[in-house]
Amino acid sequence: MTITSPKPADSGFFHSFMTTMAKPAATAALALGIGLAGVLAGTPARAASDQQAIKFVEDLGAEAIDVISDKSAGKSAMEDNFQTLLRENADLKKIAAFSLGRYVRTPDQAQKAEYLDLFETFIVKVYVTRLSDYNDEKFDVTGAQEKGSKGREVIVSSQIKFTNGRPPVDVKWWVLREGDGFKVFDVNVAGIWLAQEQRDQFTSILNSNNGDFSALLSHLKEKIGQAEKGNVDAAMTGGDTSTN
Amino acid sequence: MMKRITTPLKRRLTANSAALILAIAALTTTSQSAFAVSAGGDSAAMEAANADSDPADADDSNDPLEPANRYFFELNRFLDTIALKPMATWYRGVVPGVGRNAVRNFLDNLKSPVILANDLLQGEWDRAGTTVERFGINSTVGVLGLFDPADEWGIKQHSEDFGQTLGTYGVNEGPYLYLPVLGPAPPRDLVGFGVDQFFDPLTYIYWNEPKTVPMTRFVVNGIDARSRGLNALDQIERTSVDYYVTIRSLYRQSRRNEIANGRTDVNDLPDIENLNFDTNEPNTPDTQ
Repeated sequence: MTITSPKPADSGFFHSFMTTMAKPAATAALALGIGLAGVLAGTPARAASDQQAIKFVEDLGAEAIDVISDKSAGKSAMEDNFQTLLRENADLKKIAAFSLGRYVRTPDQAQKAEYLDLFETFIVKVYVTRLSDYNDEKFDVTGAQEKGSKGREVIVSSQIKFTNGRPPVDVKWWVLREGDGFKVFDVNVAGIWLAQEQRDQFTSILNSNNGDFSALLSHLKEKIGQAEKGNVDAAMTGGDTSTN
Repeated sequence: MMKRITTPLKRRLTANSAALILAIAALTTTSQSAFAVSAGGDSAAMEAANADSDPADADDSNDPLEPANRYFFELNRFLDTIALKPMATWYRGVVPGVGRNAVRNFLDNLKSPVILANDLLQGEWDRAGTTVERFGINSTVGVLGLFDPADEWGIKQHSEDFGQTLGTYGVNEGPYLYLPVLGPAPPRDLVGFGVDQFFDPLTYIYWNEPKTVPMTRFVVNGIDARSRGLNALDQIERTSVDYYVTIRSLYRQSRRNEIANGRTDVNDLPDIENLNFDTNEPNTPDTQ
């Protein structure tokens, strides 16, 4: 297990020396093709879409921090608030479908309905647990880039700066334009795409059960049950909240 | 305390490194053929190789040794429960944060030569400069690397290793491999781990000496790293449907991210434009 910390480039005497060395070849390439393409790509329509996506993520980040840092209401209230936030701002159906990977066509109608229901509960339990160490942190959006050809997907970059001296964490938001607004499809924390991690887990279970969809459903139920029991255990032992 | 721990562990690790060298020798052949494919730029061969992992199989686990890997995973979990985790918990409880940060800074500073070698091999001149500056500043102003003033001056730390360097050359990770003590070490990263030993001055300083210092470093590094992941790993374990698979997924994604130096290439992300659960047909264009 490695802990990653992506680092931006820095400048210095060595840097300027080395860039001078590497420059001639790169400059030639740039002048010929990439420079021209860059001018053509930067159309105003795209920039506007990026700005809207940035605004969406800024608002969502602020709301999410409010929900997570409000420890007074207790865990079940936090779960309720998180669920509301998730329903309003994430494309849960698409995430659920994505998490099945190549097994997306496997469930029948009844299984699909049960899966969607369990999936939502599971996600809420998982992330309220995983985010419980976060407090009233500082959240900055740092940029955005388009994905896909239809201008409907944007990757928004942001950074969480911790108040307790932990190194900042890069968070990327993969958002989809839906109707007038946006919905989150996936979130990348310190280099890990969460929906992709979920998909790896679910497809692995389906793989080892020869694609039997009910096996996944019972795994999810079991895990949700454990998370509820885990809450009781944590409450009884007082939990472990220290970091670093 | 330390003495008592390291002696049996040392013996185990020495036996281990012998096995490791054998494994590396065996695997180098594989990686050389991988090199030949990518270096030759033979696109037909590349495509043939890619055909095995076409998009429909994007979530193929590429873990042919899964039973053995799971066995070692459970073994490491056992070792973690009886030794590493208690030591890490003790270490975090007894040593104040300033002390633990000094240990971390010192170990990180010692790794600078390995990082620099790999920065250079990747042609990352900016980052190579950063590594040199950090080493210079932290070894002097930072009192032999115990402090990290460079970070406060905006010269941030980054990690590199030869596994990442191979990754930037286009070498695939290969089938997943999980080893006792070492943890996740697919062929590319295992070879990288072996090669990195040769970029490390300590290897030469202690070439003919007892390996007490390198081993102590290995052990302290492990305890410190574990102490920093106590909460996170507990939470991940508790919230995973399958802990083994989660660690495999996290390992692969974080390596991919490290190789890309934190940059996101949108073209590497899965195509979800036509993913639609209602039609149950992910490959048909949606009509909304």
